[in-house]
Amino acid sequence: MTKVKLNGEDINIEMTKDEFEAVKELLKKEPNVTELGMFDVMWSEHCSYKSSRPKLKLFEDAEKNYDYVLAGPGQDAGVIDIGDGYVLAFRIESHNHPSAIEPYHGAATGIGGIIRDILCMGVRPIALLDPLRFGCLKDNSHSQWLFKYVVKGIADYGNCTGIPTIGGEVEFDDSFESNCLVNVACIGLGTKEDFQHAPSKAYNPGDYVILMGGSTGRDGIHGVTFASRTLTEMSEADRPAVQIGDPFIKKMIIEATLEAVKTGYVRGLKDLGGGGLTCATSELTGSGDTGADVDLRKVITREPGMNSYEIMLSESQERMAFIVKPEGLETVLDVFRKYEMSFAVIGRTDGSKVLKVYDGDTLVVSIPSKALSESPTFKREEKRPKYLDKLLLEKIPKRILSLDEIIYKLIASENICSKEWVYRQYDHEVGVRSVIKCGEGDSGVLRIIGTNKFIAASVGVNSKHCFLDPYEGSKGGLVEQCGNIISHGAKPIAMVNCCNFGNPEIPESFWYFSKSIDGMNDFCRDLRIPIVGGNVSFYNEDEVKKTAIKATPVIMIVGLIIGQENIITLPFKEEGNEILIIGETYAELGGSEYHSVIYDMEGGIPPKVNEREIKKRWDYIFELYRNNYIKSNHDVDKGGFVITIAEMCFKHNLGARLNIKDYNSNRLKDDELLFSESVGRFIIEIKPADHDEIMNLAEKFGVYVKQLGTIIDSPELIISGFQSKDIKLDLSKMKSLYDSTLPNMMDI
Amino acid sequence: MSVKIAVIQFPGANCDLDAIHVLKNVIGIETDLVWHNHFKESKYDGVILPGGFTFGDYLRAGIIAAHSPAIDEARVMLKDGRPILGICNGFQILTESQFLPGALLRNDSLKFVCKWVNLKVENNNTAFTNKMERNMILDIPIAHGEGRYFTDNLKELEENNQIVFKYSNEKGNITAIANPNGSMDNIAGICNLERNCIGLMPHPERASEPILSPNNTEHGKLFFDSMVEFIKRRTS
Repeated sequence: MTKVKLNGEDINIEMTKDEFEAVKELLKKEPNVTELGMFDVMWSEHCSYKSSRPKLKLFEDAEKNYDYVLAGPGQDAGVIDIGDGYVLAFRIESHNHPSAIEPYHGAATGIGGIIRDILCMGVRPIALLDPLRFGCLKDNSHSQWLFKYVVKGIADYGNCTGIPTIGGEVEFDDSFESNCLVNVACIGLGTKEDFQHAPSKAYNPGDYVILMGGSTGRDGIHGVTFASRTLTEMSEADRPAVQIGDPFIKKMIIEATLEAVKTGYVRGLKDLGGGGLTCATSELTGSGDTGADVDLRKVITREPGMNSYEIMLSESQERMAFIVKPEGLETVLDVFRKYEMSFAVIGRTDGSKVLKVYDGDTLVVSIPSKALSESPTFKREEKRPKYLDKLLLEKIPKRILSLDEIIYKLIASENICSKEWVYRQYDHEVGVRSVIKCGEGDSGVLRIIGTNKFIAASVGVNSKHCFLDPYEGSKGGLVEQCGNIISHGAKPIAMVNCCNFGNPEIPESFWYFSKSIDGMNDFCRDLRIPIVGGNVSFYNEDEVKKTAIKATPVIMIVGLIIGQENIITLPFKEEGNEILIIGETYAELGGSEYHSVIYDMEGGIPPKVNEREIKKRWDYIFELYRNNYIKSNHDVDKGGFVITIAEMCFKHNLGARLNIKDYNSNRLKDDELLFSESVGRFIIEIKPADHDEIMNLAEKFGVYVKQLGTIIDSPELIISGFQSKDIKLDLSKMKSLYDSTLPNMMDI
Repeated sequence: MSVKIAVIQFPGANCDLDAIHVLKNVIGIETDLVWHNHFKESKYDGVILPGGFTFGDYLRAGIIAAHSPAIDEARVMLKDGRPILGICNGFQILTESQFLPGALLRNDSLKFVCKWVNLKVENNNTAFTNKMERNMILDIPIAHGEGRYFTDNLKELEENNQIVFKYSNEKGNITAIANPNGSMDNIAGICNLERNCIGLMPHPERASEPILSPNNTEHGKLFFDSMVEFIKRRTS
């Protein structure tokens, strides 16, 4: 908070004194309260990306470098051309701070916001995905409360709007106890024309400005400045800054907007989210190089007596701003009338390049259109935390538990167990596109009706790995998310990210952000994956405990599969088939579930990524696909490859007999080999008759591939070749442990 | 002869386009998506009330849509024997409109549930089941928060053979575990006395193409094939 003098009165603002001076400089006058409030919101971290912008410049050239990228970073959503006349729009966003205070409405309005971002690209939202982080659930009723109501908020909102939630990811770790993370991703599908009809700018003077949807109330005023602060015990008092959503109105807005866009009379479209009417009007006119006259008395307010400050800054949900061609005004309004949506023609654009807001006849705001988006940026300091040296050297104590006891513990752990408790509450079938459904594979797969194309999407990252090494951890997140769609036969075509970090004013926290961006940038350039959008959430820091969350640069990857016959599934298919592993295992137990579940330990050496090696493996897998050699495929993730194999056995009650003796090229200890989380490995099922050809190809591609064993007809996992004695695991027991953890914790 | 079907678009319906896709592209019959205030029964041989959250399910699921003019139009069709199918929220609208008896209450788990279940066909002599075998087991998904069927007149339903579908396990046994929402007697779908109106909680439109089914089945298609057959028999 900063105290400044305005017209002789002391007022508190979020911006710094320097920024306040910059505002006066830009306006060449002293701002009034409404104007200052507008700058305060638009120059907040959340809206202006003032700490992250200098670093995010790295991502800015996707549109230039990839001919199929139609919209890149900086727009409401990334848009790519997938051929056959169709485009996909997607974006991921955070709604962390509101959800930490009010989990149900915080999560619900997060979904509402991301749907609007996709909608304002002119396309229909067709899928949601939600990566989440909470404190550990066990014996922690606060974490259970947050988890339960975040999931319910997502379910109630998403289900009602008729957009399937096709995937997600959740991790539980104590660093998220008071700062849970709720990231929300949405994918939209439309034709190229739909997208071209609705740019987020008002570039033509004389067009009408229409506000459509819900009414404007006093809720959520200054929601974004609240999201740009760290949470304190005082934050409970911020509860009125959390907006309340209405998924029914949102559903009507979706239909009315899409029908209005189809009329061809909409020239610009923008949702009202963070920053409300201030953000929408200034960004529309600013990016369109126009100005506008707007009359606040036309705005439909929820309560009488709202002043210009409140109307301009309200973040009431469920509102869209339309820029409409004069000749099409009535046609567009008729669409809104059909859906019984309230609307108001609040102004017209002009060539003045100034945003003028009137309260009836009184001019209350006069700001150059572009000024609000020209916030100063900060060059933040970055510094590697000292504690990392010690953490990386951490070693586990002598192992007491036997290997089979450890595996039973791991499969039941919160981060590995089945997430069925979550996805059963989400309608993941609506839209009749879901081909690989929640819980069936590494990622969701949707068909594009009317084509022979399918899209796969996966979200997530490993926060524990990123905590130890954000550069390698972010790359590892990319390898993992790409692996999740490649295992279903999809080629990665684009990525968006959602960067969740601590306070950027603290050099150690900013270092995590900076290194993560470098990791993503380096990897995506090497592997030719365009970065088409991103979102940054800073200040995920607990002021009372003085701790930041573990760095969580969430990654979403979207991929394409051509032809139904090329979709690969996860479960083992047939007894007698061989089980192969692609990729070596290294002694990389840092940040593993093994360390945290068995030893309650955070340190160690985390996985590293070798891009050249990863590229070879992916090329090799697609060559095997081309030859139809792979019967099932599952990317190796948390807990190591034995967990992966168990998951592949579950569906058809099969088992496996493994001998890991020949696989141990790096002479690892038994626990290192089994539980290391080295990235980029796959377990595949093949027919014995194809074995030699597959091994020849491995040699040709220079990829490390070993047979681990064969599939057997009984639900047991028999593993030999250890330095210690053989183990035999009961897969029925593993399955019941896997299934029961969350219900036992949550359904009480 | 040509068959023409209406899918009613109530505000907040969200399975309307899915039903249109199946009727047009899978079954191949002429189908209109009709805004609820614009619906006129005289143009149509049958009507489908799709799933969703009409009017946000505010007040009570289906109750506000039950007062739409579209329901007055549909009542004409009900009386003269044309086929009417209510899916999920459509079923809730049909009970609230008293086209069908009983009510749909909150699931016993108190949670929304989305999953594939099995249904046992109890009555194959209706407008939407005449292409099915009696006791046949269907693969079909559910997705609802308020699907627990309740009636204070179960006996009458049984005597009149109005119970069309029951939740079962894959062998066809009617068990408590196979009941996903606590419905009375595992009831998943019922019909009126005249057999032309059916309501059910599961979604046939999501089970009409093998690619969407975990077992590569297309049992949902049988509902719509039956409807076409029923219309043909009725008008010939």
